[in-house]
Amino acid sequence: MHRFISNRRLVILVVILVVCFGLMAGSVALRNRRNTPPLIQQFGNDVVGFADGVVAYPANGLQHGMDSVSELMNTYQENRELKQQVSQLAQTQVRDQTLAKENRQLKQELKLNHSLTDYSTVTASVLSRTPSTWQQQLIINKGQTSGVKKNMPVLSGSGLVGRVSEVNKTNSKVELLSDTGESANRFAIHIDGASGKSVNGVITGYNSSTNLLEVGQVSSKAKISKGEKVVTSGMGGITPKGLYVGRVARVGKDDYGLAQKIYITPATNFNEINIVTVAELDSEE
Amino acid sequence: MYRLSRLRYVFPLGLLAAFFLDGSLSKLCADLFFKYPYAMSSQLVMLWLVFTYFFKEDIDVPLMGAAVIVGILADVYYAGILGLFMFLYPAVIMMTRSLGKLLDRTFLSMILIFFIDLTVFEALNYFAYSAIGIIHVDFGDFLVYNLAPTLALNLIYFVVLYWPIGRLFRWSLSGRR
Repeated sequence: MHRFISNRRLVILVVILVVCFGLMAGSVALRNRRNTPPLIQQFGNDVVGFADGVVAYPANGLQHGMDSVSELMNTYQENRELKQQVSQLAQTQVRDQTLAKENRQLKQELKLNHSLTDYSTVTASVLSRTPSTWQQQLIINKGQTSGVKKNMPVLSGSGLVGRVSEVNKTNSKVELLSDTGESANRFAIHIDGASGKSVNGVITGYNSSTNLLEVGQVSSKAKISKGEKVVTSGMGGITPKGLYVGRVARVGKDDYGLAQKIYITPATNFNEINIVTVAELDSEE
Repeated sequence: MYRLSRLRYVFPLGLLAAFFLDGSLSKLCADLFFKYPYAMSSQLVMLWLVFTYFFKEDIDVPLMGAAVIVGILADVYYAGILGLFMFLYPAVIMMTRSLGKLLDRTFLSMILIFFIDLTVFEALNYFAYSAIGIIHVDFGDFLVYNLAPTLALNLIYFVVLYWPIGRLFRWSLSGRR
């Protein structure tokens, strides 16, 4: 009798293990292949996301209030510095407008409707973050209904922070650049090197101990100096061209000493993201 | 009786609050929780489940069902990968039950049981995610950078919340007939 029970327990355990891994492997495969999760999962996400608002909005409000108080402390100093920048900014803005107008006219002449730099944006606020040490994932409060699609790049503060990894009707998940998972971010980037040469590469990883993004297997021999700006190159057709990623921290050799490896300091602190902007390439449609 | 005590409101509401607070705290305190290279995961849900087991006295609270449901929610909403937490939370309950029978109900033995629960939970999480290829982290790195900070954070939760949650449960059990 005793033997029978322990056997049955073993069978149950094995069945549970099989179901567990089957579900996990299945959902990872589905997630990589499909643009949206199955309808039932979307529905669950939307309901939970709605309920999350009850906790998330007051919590975010509290944080906002505390931030305001601490910001008040160094307002005077900041104000002086900002005033200097504002005068420069006005000039840049006017020039930017002129250039944008000229750009539009030139494009019309060429009968070019949308180029890789044309994108529209959706602004969303961050509801919460996955409480896991493995997934660096944010949950934002805009989804399909606002035009968010899978794999769109997500910006915050001054630069790129990640990409949309799952879209539901009213909320979606954003995988941060600091996620080291298998399906994590592979953004094509572009760096201007010395003497007109430039480097194209793909962000291949993230080093969590130094907080630097890595671009591996750069075969270009172009000299790259420290502090150079890194932007997305627009290759691949989903990410617009010219989104700011960060600055070159250092350039090294890869493990085999054959190609260059570039380390990038990200433009945004991944741990202080409250508002994000999802960028959509216009030429996609 | 579960149906007659205040626990029938307090338990599910607390569980949901714990679930959402996990995500909100991870966002608000991200600078603290994900300070490179360390990473902690906030597990208020597990804390609530374990506390409920310890403080419920002789009342039958549907812990197993609640654990499965909150596990499914965590899978769908936070991870986006189905099939892990919906088995891990019930496993934690089973483990707490079997350990709870061996040890008496003092503060130290409770915190010991919670410590063991957390360690097994995080280790199983690590092995499962490694097996399906979501993470590629050495076991040693996992112990130092993930498990140790997670244990520290959640044991602090335990110590800080032990008394308030104990009071809450005593209050919700006092009104029963």
